[in-house]
Amino acid sequence: MKRTMISATLLAVVLTAGAAMAGEHPGKEYIEKNGYNGPATCEECHKGIAKKFLDTVHWKHASKVPNVHGKNIDPKKEYGMKNRIYSFCNGNDIVNRLKEIPANEVGKSKLAGCNTCHPGNQQCEVGNCEVGVENSIDCLICHSSNYDYSKRKPYKNDKGQVVTGQDRSKEAAMAVGRPTVKNCMTCHESAGGGVLIKRGFAFNKENDVHAAKGMVCVDCHKGKDHKIPTGLDPNNWANDGVLVACPDCHTEAPHKSAVYNTHTAKIACQTCHIPHSGGAIAKDFTVWDKQANKFWEPSTLKRDVQATRPVYAWYNGKVLDSPNYIGPDASANRKDKASKIYPFKIYHGKAFFNKETGDLLSMDFAPPMATGDARAGVASAAKILGMKNPEKVAKDATTGWQTVYFANSHLVTKRNALTCDSCHSDNGILNFANLGYSKKEIEKLTNTELYFNKSMEIQKSKEKED
Amino acid sequence: MKKALSLVAVLAIVAVSLFGFSRTAQADEIKFVGVITKIELAGKDAKTATVTMKDNADAKLIAITINDDLTLDKLKDHRIVEGDEIRCKYEVVDGKNVSKLFRKTAGC
Repeated sequence: MKRTMISATLLAVVLTAGAAMAGEHPGKEYIEKNGYNGPATCEECHKGIAKKFLDTVHWKHASKVPNVHGKNIDPKKEYGMKNRIYSFCNGNDIVNRLKEIPANEVGKSKLAGCNTCHPGNQQCEVGNCEVGVENSIDCLICHSSNYDYSKRKPYKNDKGQVVTGQDRSKEAAMAVGRPTVKNCMTCHESAGGGVLIKRGFAFNKENDVHAAKGMVCVDCHKGKDHKIPTGLDPNNWANDGVLVACPDCHTEAPHKSAVYNTHTAKIACQTCHIPHSGGAIAKDFTVWDKQANKFWEPSTLKRDVQATRPVYAWYNGKVLDSPNYIGPDASANRKDKASKIYPFKIYHGKAFFNKETGDLLSMDFAPPMATGDARAGVASAAKILGMKNPEKVAKDATTGWQTVYFANSHLVTKRNALTCDSCHSDNGILNFANLGYSKKEIEKLTNTELYFNKSMEIQKSKEKED
Repeated sequence: MKKALSLVAVLAIVAVSLFGFSRTAQADEIKFVGVITKIELAGKDAKTATVTMKDNADAKLIAITINDDLTLDKLKDHRIVEGDEIRCKYEVVDGKNVSKLFRKTAGC
């Protein structure tokens, strides 16, 4: 018996190692023979993985956010796209749960909602952790390189619920593996109202040096038990409690040049290596724009990938959340040892504010999408959230702008990185006065003597490359 | 002689203008939003596809040629399917409407 067990274990190890060496996910023979039965099939080898997944941001769309503070932030509660009210989305999973949008002026309706990207089937609320809910996890949407996305469309089931399908075919399961860039970007490029609207970056060889090297998202965002490391983006709060940063791979002294390396103590890598941003720069949720298909969308100023310049500010990971501003808090400055200068995409959103409290109000997109009536959306959201007198809240609501700082973390370039004179020349891109430097210091920082020789060296090196 | 030279100069200007204009017209990008009515794609290894779209503005059908790998991939794995609304930019090249931007209008 003992010998049989040892032999079986050895065989399993050999088979697994063989498959792994060939770059293939093991277990395909099992799937070929038994078919794919959702997470239960994955659990044959990855015991307990589905339940653990229920405790991740990808499932909960929320987490505790100890680095964020503001009058409406309760440190004991979790925040994320499940429940946040801010001016980029202005809705969230709760008020904009996948639903049927009422008919527009030509009698057409559609199924839409913020939680369409949630890797469940939308039959339960986002973050629902009831017994058995793990069976609804769509493992293959992230792990299959042969997923048929036509099966992932929303539809009405026989109970009249609006749900999403999944591709649980054997063909999709046989192509299981590490998530590819496509797996991640299928959801992450479409956030906030369309392709490359919210994050505004394309992770491809034309736009990012890591992609050009053949890297994929999970090379940096390498998760353990589906807890995915991220940075502390002032805009995207929810996280799995695991961080990733450039020095994890590149160290704090990544350059051959000692002069460049002296900068890393106070200048974030992104500042020089991500000189552009993209995506929406402003939206007006109080005035909706009628589209050619007769549905309405919030008026949005869209910019293409690499089309905008960031704003530079001190940041130490601490974020202030207020009705008019979300971004680095006042503790970030040049004297603070944890602060560095970072680039940010600045976004401005116009929305409705509660006349009584001054708080930003949320919006259910269903009414304005059909009719353009933004206040009807505010009333509906207020009702969903259990506010008193929702119609009055909407009628009395004032309008105003909120400024949001988005982290600039992708579109990384080596060749087109900023060089000395980009910042140190008279019309350099860093506003040293705004960053807290005195007139005397600025004169010193922008003296040609400071950067001429190094800039010449870089120029010659580039000419040699060309 | 002077008259003949003037005529040549005028003709040259006209020719240059016409040539320049036709080049510009050819390189002009045309934008529209429409709904996909038909996708013609020859298998998983296809290097090109033809997508017929109904322009939302005037309901006219336009055949768009897709050559870029990212959009082809989205057509192959059905991230883009018939019925999807698309924001499209195209150029007329050798009589074909070649896509320069092809993105679904919808997001979450």
